[in-house]
Amino acid sequence: MPNKPIPPRAEIQALVGHEFPGGKYTVQHWENFLLTECTGADPLPDGQVHPAAMFHVPILGANTTIGEMFALGQAESDASIGIESYDWELFSPLFEEVAYDVTASITEADRCEEESGRVYDRIQFVFNLADPDGKLVARSTVTWHYNRSRN
Amino acid sequence: MKVSIGDDIPEWDMPSVTRERMRTMAAILRDPNPVHWDPTSTERWGFKDKTINQGPLGLSYMVNMLHDWAGPTSIKRFIMTFPKAVLSEDHVIARGKVTGLREEDGTMIAECDIWLHNDERGTLLKGSAEVRLPA
Repeated sequence: MPNKPIPPRAEIQALVGHEFPGGKYTVQHWENFLLTECTGADPLPDGQVHPAAMFHVPILGANTTIGEMFALGQAESDASIGIESYDWELFSPLFEEVAYDVTASITEADRCEEESGRVYDRIQFVFNLADPDGKLVARSTVTWHYNRSRN
Repeated sequence: MKVSIGDDIPEWDMPSVTRERMRTMAAILRDPNPVHWDPTSTERWGFKDKTINQGPLGLSYMVNMLHDWAGPTSIKRFIMTFPKAVLSEDHVIARGKVTGLREEDGTMIAECDIWLHNDERGTLLKGSAEVRLPA
């Protein structure tokens, strides 16, 4: 199957400033229970959400999806995405049954070319979570590499 | 809690990364990527009959290590990179070391290097964390 053409660099750079719709997300008890079990830990006290939720809660709360994030960067395929880093800041713990407000945008996007010949587009997404009082409680910064194949 | 620079954080052991947990995690994350549940999708990387653990799940083992060490609300910041894949049936051990200490608003913060070790393939994930230490 032929690879998709490499998108123009300007199209990638133009992603900076893209804002996702945003919205609210409430982690329900069943979801936190199953998530925590997947990590191999016991449930945390007082309905605290396991920090592993800091990946999907911001994305879904921003009213986007992993698939849409792949598509925005014109990913060649699911398998062409590499993770540079996940940076999670927890100003206070997250709790079950609390409706968090999520805002999100693309803060960095540019083409990178290494001496080895590897070409990828580096795209950074920042998600902010606020509690119902409007207090910022957490931030997730996702930086992915959209690897490009040369045909 | 008495902590010094250079201290090792007590290890956290995951004896086997299971496919069942990856499948549950795929549903929770709404992550359609087949590398997490279809072993035929990972053959291109030479991972015969293996599935690849989700990033958030792999780093969660280090979260659990930090929780067991300093408490369930201790993590202030957590930065993770993913140099190698964590695969189904891997035995992995979360490890960490205190690299710095500072006081912030009356709370001691430990700066830590953290990583996920596998006996066959070495360090799979690595990063850093800032941890609020209990008084």
